[in-house]
Formats: sequence, structure tokens, C-alpha cells
Amino acid sequence: MASLLQPDRVLYLVHGEKKIRSPLSTLYFCRYCSELRSLECVSHEVDSHYCPSCLENMPSAEAKLKKNRKRICNQLNENFRCANCFDCPCCMHTLSTRATNIPAPLPDDPSKTTMKKAYYLACGFCRWTSRDVGMADKSVASGGWQEPDNPHTQRINKLIEYYQQLAQREKLERDRKKLARRRPYMPLAFSQHTIHVVEKYGLGTRLQRQRPGAPITSLAGLSLKEGEDQKEINIEPAQALDEVEPLPEDCYTRPINLPEVTSLRQRLLQPDFQPAGASQLHPKHKHLLIKRSLRCRKCEHNLSKPEFNPTSIKFKIQLVAVSYIPEVRIMSIPNLRFQKECQVLLTLTNPVENITHVTLVGCEEGDPEDINSTAKVMVPTKELVLAGKDAAADYDELAEPQDFQDDPDVVAFRKSNKIGFFIKVVPQREEDGDVTVSFKIRHDFRNLAAPIRPSEEGDAPTEAIWLTHHVELSLGPIIA
Amino acid sequence: CCEGFEIDCRKKLKSLNKMSDKQNAQKSAKIAAGAVVCVESEIRGEVTIGARTVVHPKARIIAEAGPIVIGEGNLIEEQALIINSYPENIAPDSEGVEPKTMTIGINNVFEVGCMSQAMKIGDNNVIESKADLGRNMILTSGCIIGACCQVNTCEVIPENTVIFGSGCQRRVQTERPQPQTLQLDFLMKILPNYHHMKKTVKTTSAVTPAKN
Repeated sequence: MASLLQPDRVLYLVHGEKKIRSPLSTLYFCRYCSELRSLECVSHEVDSHYCPSCLENMPSAEAKLKKNRKRICNQLNENFRCANCFDCPCCMHTLSTRATNIPAPLPDDPSKTTMKKAYYLACGFCRWTSRDVGMADKSVASGGWQEPDNPHTQRINKLIEYYQQLAQREKLERDRKKLARRRPYMPLAFSQHTIHVVEKYGLGTRLQRQRPGAPITSLAGLSLKEGEDQKEINIEPAQALDEVEPLPEDCYTRPINLPEVTSLRQRLLQPDFQPAGASQLHPKHKHLLIKRSLRCRKCEHNLSKPEFNPTSIKFKIQLVAVSYIPEVRIMSIPNLRFQKECQVLLTLTNPVENITHVTLVGCEEGDPEDINSTAKVMVPTKELVLAGKDAAADYDELAEPQDFQDDPDVVAFRKSNKIGFFIKVVPQREEDGDVTVSFKIRHDFRNLAAPIRPSEEGDAPTEAIWLTHHVELSLGPIIA
Repeated sequence: CCEGFEIDCRKKLKSLNKMSDKQNAQKSAKIAAGAVVCVESEIRGEVTIGARTVVHPKARIIAEAGPIVIGEGNLIEEQALIINSYPENIAPDSEGVEPKTMTIGINNVFEVGCMSQAMKIGDNNVIESKADLGRNMILTSGCIIGACCQVNTCEVIPENTVIFGSGCQRRVQTERPQPQTLQLDFLMKILPNYHHMKKTVKTTSAVTPAKN
């Protein structure tokens, strides 16, 4: 029966740029627009970076602009990787540091030996150790491990700088052109191309979200830097070679040592080396994860803002739909038969603290939102009243139960802020798929976020507005 | 003459008991001195357990289709199942089936909940939790069968192989896993404080029936 509680059985329709149907638990509710929002109709912004294993925080701006390579390795480099944690090159699990005792000669008296601790990296999942690739044990627990240097690093960095400068110059030229001569017939492809060019050279995806006319903030820092030294960066073009290293003679005859060959995934996770042999797989620093905040695209209010601390799972702002919209869940389904009326038991839960009135309306013929339903549904016509969610109800035994006059044909049971009610379903199609029904639920919503206008008459602080949502239920297959 | 008859009967019963004891003794576990085998473990059939081996409670060693010989220094944890069972296509009662001996070497670790039917296991292997070894496998030394890996191919696993992951990927490690001497010493001290042990057998004297 736990399958009935699966979230994808009850879908709510979101009106956005695309019509999206998804469970209420994945949706957000913008209480300023009074509308449901899904992940695709909000803008995602990166809040902070953190390492998933040591939970160390790296502020986003610092991580992005810090380019000074002379700093010590304890600080973050620009690759968004943690300085302390490593990934196993074999199975990508997190490596742990283990210690062994080795006898080492005392510095004062070479003849005596004392036990010293030596540290090595080991993976608990695939049993890879740093000794497998020949990395010597270190005498410090952390900070001693170095990634091997790429011989091409300098050339790559120079190329990146050159192209970033080029992209910036092109962007400035384009802006100048736009301001100088307004050509309304300028083809759209041109401006798209420029944005693409800028993005290609890594000046940031923020440029895409900028509204026209607004100052380009991400380039501001760079332009200041460029102002300091305006020297042109020249690169030497790559030189083509006539002679290529020949293949070894036993290339075709040498038997393959299969454990030594790296898999594609192992190889491509280290794009600067791409080692073909497992004995050259060195551990890499662990990639950082992000904490993101969501913003409604229409009113620019934050819908979800997590806490800055990586160890905290709470939110500063959490406007999730389940805490504002009554949730429909399937409780029990009888055997569904083709063209026979069956009674399905659903529950409605009220997430807010005041009484909510809910009306269910079936979908009319030709409703453009009703595309998936394969059965006719008869919903109760009376208005359902849901009690408010009372956090202390479990403990308060003396409270009188509120008396709602419930029609036993409609309401099966009532329990604090939840009621169970019946709907009648007549499956219309005798096919293999699931029986799907849809209806609209209309409920009153008190907007506590609206600014309190000074009212002269002293009436109720918040007025209720009525919201309508389109709900689709998937009831399972027809049992003949 | 009644008394004589009684004494005769008693003598016959005693000799019969001795014979059946001897027969029974061959079918019960021979636990070497120095091994720590908890009473709550289930040992059925002809099982020989070497010295310094620790068998946790709720471990099961079942010798159905033949004897099992376990070497020294092994660690068999809770709910591990080492079973020498009949192959699937042979009924248990059919004749002409020779009992095959399952041999397990030294310093192996059978972690919690694993199941091993492999007929020959070498030394220094680790069979991690909930791993499943088939009957036709032969482990050499230093192999590690990862957690929840089901391996029932018909092959000899080369030395120092690690089998891990949901797809049973393999790789070769450069050194064998260390024997769990510290853990074994600790358990041999602590387990008798909390559990009753099965009686061990002195190697010099005659075989005595072990308490089950």
C-alpha cells in the first residue's frame, strides 16, 4: 500500500512558460504572485560552494575570481575543488587517510629506531591505496598530497587569458556598435553569436540573464584589472609537426594486461592526463557542490534560500507548495473495472493554521488542461471544510473536537487537519495503461505576505483569495 | 537370571552407546584448542576448525554434502553462512555422490551476513558483508569480494583481486589485505566474557563428543 503514497501519483499543473505537471512536493508557491512554480519556471542562482566530505565552505565570489597561483595550496584554486579531500581515481569514492607505524631512525642517533607515523590515502570501497601508483607515504596527515603538474599548464593559461581579453574586446565593440548606430534590422543571430562567444571563453553565464541596458557587473572586476595593465597578450600559434612518434613495434602482438587498462570513465575524469594505465591514476581533489537559491522570474522574490552553513539543512526562506496548498493523496483504490463505477478514497490535508474551504470541480468537456484523463470522475459537490493545522493538538486532550456536519456519503473520516473523502470513477478506456482522472480544486488562501494596508474601517487583516489548481491522479491499471 | 539378563543388557547398551558415540563424533565439529566458537553458532556436519579462529554467535557452518575444513586465524562473523551443499542438479539421496571437502585457508575474514559456497578458499581473503560466493569459485590468496557482490562464475580468482561495486568490477591491488590479528586477539579475550563457548578438542587425546 506504500505505493499509493508515491509522490508521482498525484500531479498538480503549473502554469508557466511550459505547462508542467509534477507532484506537489517538488513545487514552490510564490505567495506574492499567488501561483505555483516549478523548478523550470524559477531562476537558479548559486549561493555558495562547499565540499561534500569535509563540509568546508567556500564563498562563491572568492572562489571564482581568485587566480593568484602563488598562494599556498591550502586555499582554493580556481577549479572549484576542495583543498583537503581527494577522490579515488578508481571508483570516485572519497579517500580516507590511514596511518601506519613504520620504524624510522632517530635524527640524533641513527642506530636506534623509533616508530613514526606514516600516512597514506586509501579508498574504503575499491581498496585502492596511494601506494598503488607509487606515491610515497607522507609524514603529515593532511596537506602533504600534491597533484601532479600538467606540463601544458602554462600554455593553456596563456591561451585562456588571450581569449578572455579577445572576448571582452569584442563585447565592448558590440556594445559600442549598438549604442552608436541603432539598426533595428540587425539580425538576431549576430547578437546571439556574440553572447555565445563571450560564454565560450568563460566570462560567465550571468551575462545571459542581464536585462538590456543594465550594467554588466561580472565584467566590472575584470575591467578594473585590465585597466591596470592594458598590455596586449600575444600568443604564439601552435606549431604543426611533420614527424609523429611511431607506435611501438609490439603494439599489435603484446597481450593486454586487463587490470592495468583504465576505463573510459576513469580516464576522462582526469582530462589533463587521460592515463591509459592504472598505475598512472593519481587522486584528484574533490569537486565542490553548490547551494542554490531559487527566485521567481516574474516578481523576482526569493522562493528558496538555504542557510549559508553547509552543515545546516534548514532554509532561510522556504516557500514550498506543501506548506500553502492543500494536498490530495490517494488512500485506497478498489478494483477498477471498465465502465463500472468505483469509489476511490482520497485524503485532503490542510497545511495552514486557519480553516480552509475546499471545493472540487470536475473538468468540463474540452478543457484544454485535461489531456491525460482516461476516466470520468464524479467529485463531491458540497464544499469541504478542513480544520486548521494545530501543532499542539496531539498533546491537548481537553480540546473539544470541532463539530463539522459531515455527510457520511462524502466524508469518510476526519482527523485533525485531514479528511478522507470519496470520489466516483468510471474508467472509460479498456487499455493497458493506468486509469487517470483529473479535477480542479478550489480553495481559499490567506496571503500573510501582503503588506498591511492601513484600513480605516478596521476590517479583517487579510482577505481570502480563491485559488484553483488542476490535479491529476493516476489510479493504476484496470483489473478485468 | 533376571539380574544377569539386566547386566548383559546394560553392558550391551554401554557398548552400543560407545559405538554410536564414535560414529556421532565423526559427524560433529572438531574444534582445535585456541579456537573461540560461540555456543549460539550453528555448526552441522563434519566441520574442522583450526586454532585461533573466532566464530561469532549466529554464524552458520553447515557441512551437508561433505566435510568442511577451516584453517587457523579465520574470523567468521555473525550471520555468515559457510555451506557445503549439494549441487543443484543432484538430489541429496542419490547414490554415487562422493562427498567433496571444502577447504578454507588461514587468516580469512567472513564478514557479517556473507554466504560462501566456494569449495576452495585460500589465505588472507576478505569476503565482505552480504557477499555471495557460488559453488564453482576458487579463491586464491588476498582476494576481496566486496559487499553485496554476487559472484558465481566458474573460475579461479587470481591473487590480490578486488571485486567491488554493483557491477562487480574488478581490479588488482598491489598488496594483500592485512591479517586481522588485533581484532582476533581482542575477540578471543572479550567473547568468552559474554558467551558460552563450544568445547574444544585436545589434539593428543581421543575424540570426545562436543556439546552442541
